[in-house]
Amino acid sequence: MKNIRSWWWLCGLLTVWACQKAPDQPAAPSEDARLTGKTVSVADFPAGIRKVFVLNEGSLGSNNATLDFLRLSDGMYITGAFRQMNPDAGAGLGDVGNDIAVHGDEVWMVINNSGIVEVLSAADETELAAIPVPTPRNIAFDDRYAYVTSWAGAFTTGSYDENGRYILTDYANPKGRLYRIDLQTRAIAGQVEVGYQPEGVTVYDGKIYVANSGGLSSQIPPDYAYDRTVSVIDAATFRVTGTIPVAVNLKSAFSDGKGRLYFTTLGNFYDVHSALYVLEADQPERVSKVTDYISVAAILGDTVYCVGTESEFDWSGAPRSYRALTVQNGAARKMTLQLNAIQPYSLAVLDAQTLLVGDAGDYFNPGSVHCLRNGTVSWTVTAGVCPGHFACW
Amino acid sequence: MSRGRVFLLLLLLPVCRTVQGAEVPQTDTLSAASVSSVKTVPVLRAAEEIDLQEAAAPPVLVADVLRRFTGVQVKDYGGVGGLKTIHVRSLGSEHVGIFLDGIQVDNAQNMQVDLGRFSTADIQRVSLYNGQRTRRLQTAKEYAAGASVYLDSGLPAFPDGNGGRFRFRTGAFGTLNPALQWGTKLGRRLTFQGSAEWLRSNGRYPFPCFDTTLVRENGDIRSLRLETRLDGRLNRGHWQLHLYAYGSERGFPGPVIRRAMGFPFSAERQADQDLFAQGTWEQDWTPRYSTALRAKYANQYTHYNTHPERNPMALPYNLHYRQQSGYLSLAHSFQVLENASIEASTDLQRNALNSDAGQFVTPRRTTFTGVVAGRWTGATLRAAAHLVYQGAWDHYLTPQAGGWSRAQRYRDAWMPSVSLSWTPKPWLEASLFAKRSYRLPSFNDLYYSLMGNASLEPESALQLGGDLRFSHAAGPWSVHLRLSPYYNRVSNKIVAIPTVSQFRWTMLNIGRADISGADARADLSFRRGDWTGSLTLRYSFQQALDHSREGSPSWGCQIPYIPRHSGGIEALVGWKGWTIAWSTLLTGSRWSRSAATADYYLPPWSISSLSLDKTFCLPPLRGRSIAPQLQAGVVCDNLFNRPYQLVQGYPMPGRNILVTVTYSW
Repeated sequence: MKNIRSWWWLCGLLTVWACQKAPDQPAAPSEDARLTGKTVSVADFPAGIRKVFVLNEGSLGSNNATLDFLRLSDGMYITGAFRQMNPDAGAGLGDVGNDIAVHGDEVWMVINNSGIVEVLSAADETELAAIPVPTPRNIAFDDRYAYVTSWAGAFTTGSYDENGRYILTDYANPKGRLYRIDLQTRAIAGQVEVGYQPEGVTVYDGKIYVANSGGLSSQIPPDYAYDRTVSVIDAATFRVTGTIPVAVNLKSAFSDGKGRLYFTTLGNFYDVHSALYVLEADQPERVSKVTDYISVAAILGDTVYCVGTESEFDWSGAPRSYRALTVQNGAARKMTLQLNAIQPYSLAVLDAQTLLVGDAGDYFNPGSVHCLRNGTVSWTVTAGVCPGHFACW
Repeated sequence: MSRGRVFLLLLLLPVCRTVQGAEVPQTDTLSAASVSSVKTVPVLRAAEEIDLQEAAAPPVLVADVLRRFTGVQVKDYGGVGGLKTIHVRSLGSEHVGIFLDGIQVDNAQNMQVDLGRFSTADIQRVSLYNGQRTRRLQTAKEYAAGASVYLDSGLPAFPDGNGGRFRFRTGAFGTLNPALQWGTKLGRRLTFQGSAEWLRSNGRYPFPCFDTTLVRENGDIRSLRLETRLDGRLNRGHWQLHLYAYGSERGFPGPVIRRAMGFPFSAERQADQDLFAQGTWEQDWTPRYSTALRAKYANQYTHYNTHPERNPMALPYNLHYRQQSGYLSLAHSFQVLENASIEASTDLQRNALNSDAGQFVTPRRTTFTGVVAGRWTGATLRAAAHLVYQGAWDHYLTPQAGGWSRAQRYRDAWMPSVSLSWTPKPWLEASLFAKRSYRLPSFNDLYYSLMGNASLEPESALQLGGDLRFSHAAGPWSVHLRLSPYYNRVSNKIVAIPTVSQFRWTMLNIGRADISGADARADLSFRRGDWTGSLTLRYSFQQALDHSREGSPSWGCQIPYIPRHSGGIEALVGWKGWTIAWSTLLTGSRWSRSAATADYYLPPWSISSLSLDKTFCLPPLRGRSIAPQLQAGVVCDNLFNRPYQLVQGYPMPGRNILVTVTYSW
């Protein structure tokens, strides 16, 4: 059981997520069986996965985040499932879907610019709860709580009254926060201040690791500087117990379940490149860089899969060539992945042979999801605008 | 001419009048005797033109005037304070030059001029040119713009130079809008005109928000505008000095999106202070040689604040921008033959933008624009051609490893154009034009932090257009028809796309659009005794196809927000100072994305407005030849309370009523 839980801890990662074979469970009859979409080949997909959810971010201010899923029982790729299964939710899923994770039989989605953490039934995509959190970014779980990083907690300190309204008490502090949501009551059960504009979050061995980006701080007075730290929070006391300097502009956080924590950074877009860093949970001061050039990354078990390009600071629009790596026990190995004509925007690893790559296209019109089997593209479907996040059930 | 009289709008005049030589030059103040036709008769006519002082019950905002014009799409974010920009025949607002008294109102930061800020209180005439306006002594920038909107602030409001006008408007959205204009003669050759306008609106209106109805919040505005103008006559010339100050403080209500309970849509505020001083000196040195010297200094300050203390969802921006520009233009006109003239103009402009935004590169731009143009006016044939050269030096800071250094870049373009007009019969006119123009990348395109791309090239627009006009008058009736087919190609279009990370976007010259369309317009007017009437029908067809990247899903799709079909109906009846006017605007379905899917479908809409006006003539004041007038009007906009959106996520107001009272003396 502990083992299964630790897999759930991994769920809440950024752009990316990965899936792990769960024990076979009997398929329950589902209300969403009537939904149909494009049929794709799911032969030899890992057993134990019933659905792969795809959260399409949409564009900021356009209220067009959408939820797709791939149903493995019949190989249907279904788009716009949230609206179809929740016809009374007039406003749809909301504005900018920033993260998705499965916990038990629930799908948790972080709707960034709507300020909502949305909880759905994984079986039929019907809404179970919509929890207000200011500018939420990413999510991770332990066995009692969901942990959600938040920017806007960033600029405001406040609490929710009995009607669910947000009451402000202070707004002078530009740091971000980590919110804790009780999995039983689905209500906020505390918050703690972390670094500037926290992004990725992961849980390992009773500690929560938050990657602070400083993405906004770098653009505004007085400091115009990125954050470069990981905040460590003790899950039992929900207090920050340590701050680990890593590198500028942190993004994703992963735990390999064996004591190693991986963090990706975006760099500063000028002279510091994106990179992957690793540290040991019991020697957090010893941070080392694994590799440069990480555009997207995902974890499966103890292995981080990364795709990146050396020409990431080339703004000319020339086609880029991407390279793929797997990282295990802190060591990188090359991986053959045919990414011709694909601009990877997101990545999910179902097993070592089966990868899903999201391609945002022109970022304005619906993008696509490519399935790579043994390194080559096996099929491609049209998704929503900016297919950015995956989760398996 | 009675102020309340129905002036038969627009194109009623063109064909017949010019042929009879009766067209009055709009900006030339030369005595008619010394003026030959090549100096006064333009080659191409305005596509649309409205005289606001003479029109019965004109809209109060210039943006509302323009949205009725054929081929014009107004992008309106809703409410009194919402940004309003225009597209002309699918050319973006960056290609549309807005000229106030012949001098461009520009914005190097984003190349968008907010038309919501222009009130009709001080504007005499609004005209739209699709091809090229070809008058004498134009600035080089007038030749360089793709399409042009001319706003003429004019003295003719006070025919004898003395007088004034007070307009008060109130009604929906808590609007209070007094405007005063006052003019007087300072001696035989000098006229002074001053005006002041104050506007307050709470911007609140109900709108359908998904399955409920909410009230638009944070859309309020307060603004104050002060202007003075001095006009002087010289021997064979004239001069003008115009001082303008505008200040406003407004909220941006933000897009309508799903929001957690208790979170507002937006608390963003913006404060602006715009100042400019511009002057013109036109002189005829000999009967054949004239010059015009124009100069402008503009200073625009903007303070933008997202107010995170009021909106826990806001990203904390509190930024200040100051944009300054200096402009100098010298135009020459040589009349080489009785019916031919050569024009040469050179413009020099300096733009500077400062801000406390992060990694701000403090761009400076020096633009040189030069043009040589020729015009020829025959008995039935008129022709014009020009060649513009525009070069812009940009200087900006660039981040280098370990610091910043100064970088520079030069961009230039040649822009040719030819226009031809043929009037075989007094009631028939045909014209053709071809024009290539470029628009420089804006400072935001080039240098916006984490987004700009300093290596962008200018965006190019090729326009081919024709115009067929027919007019006929019989007894009290007159009819005018216009059909204008066109083809436009926008290439090297500047498009924003994210790079390897969604946090770092870039701008690229990758877009191309092919636009074919036609504008059609029919006017029918009637005048007998105390009765006047007019009916105007407009229709535009636009097929604007994305041809950016072959094989991409948007290849061959209609450009977002461009309706294939749009049009309007205006009807007006006047009798003894009473005017009743009806207007319906129609827009076909559109998509907010190239992907024509249900999620991005914007349904067709039509909105109608009805207005009623009455003008009372009061007994003349002592010593004045002109009788004061009192005019009262009421206008009901969106009469049938139809919900509609011009930009997805930005609902427009429902039914609203505004009352205007004007006293002029």
